[in-house]
Amino acid sequence: MRVSHEIEITPSRVVLSGVPVAVSETGGKMLVELYRRYAGDYPKFFKMDTLCRLGFIGAELLLKQSGISSPVSAIIFANRSASIKNDNDYLATISEGNYYPSPALFVYTLPNIVTGEIAIRHHIQGETSFYILDNPEQLKPIVEASVNPDLTPSTCVLAGWCECSEADTFYAKLQIIWNN
Amino acid sequence: MEQLIEQLKSQIIEALNFEDMTPADIDTDAPLFGEGLGLDSIDALELIMLMDREYGIKLADPKAGKAIFQSVRTMAEYIQANRTK
Repeated sequence: MRVSHEIEITPSRVVLSGVPVAVSETGGKMLVELYRRYAGDYPKFFKMDTLCRLGFIGAELLLKQSGISSPVSAIIFANRSASIKNDNDYLATISEGNYYPSPALFVYTLPNIVTGEIAIRHHIQGETSFYILDNPEQLKPIVEASVNPDLTPSTCVLAGWCECSEADTFYAKLQIIWNN
Repeated sequence: MEQLIEQLKSQIIEALNFEDMTPADIDTDAPLFGEGLGLDSIDALELIMLMDREYGIKLADPKAGKAIFQSVRTMAEYIQANRTK
């Protein structure tokens, strides 16, 4: 198993394969800043919740700037809080006395929407998974199995931790992982 | 009517999270779905919720939606004729 590229995103710092990416904003505004600078042609971004924006931007920088989206045959993400931030936002729209459930928020009340959005964006047609785990260490054996030549023909996956508990509280570490 | 149209455009931008858009960017008579703004089925549900929340209009007949949501102008005309708040 080999990691060829990786990106780490905190609310104030982005590092792409060891090189810091310049940002002037922080938190959710930073994700919008990165979208405008490195994507900008996908208006659906603005409809996404913060978790989805985080995964989308991470994958965008990792895949687009590394130019390696075509070999990726699977997307495997995990986090601890599922889609809790958006779940709370949705809950607020169905509170007693103010019952206007938002369909746009409801769409993002499952974390695996993140991996689906990335697959659509980058035309990745393999499997996608989003696990809810206590910590990133628990994701490792799952990812190892996903590129084990004895178990799967898959040679390259996009995998990592993508966590968002509040609008400006998030962490992502995504990697391009090969079977050799 | 023109005031309602401008208000409606602002409400649509807010409801659908069109962060890069201003009311001036929306053509009053352009199709909302397909071409024009290019809205999808989730957006249609948001517009139905918007009419309920802001104007007290509950759409009981799904077939009526096609004519109502043809453009911002048709939406505004329907709201003006049917609003309860």
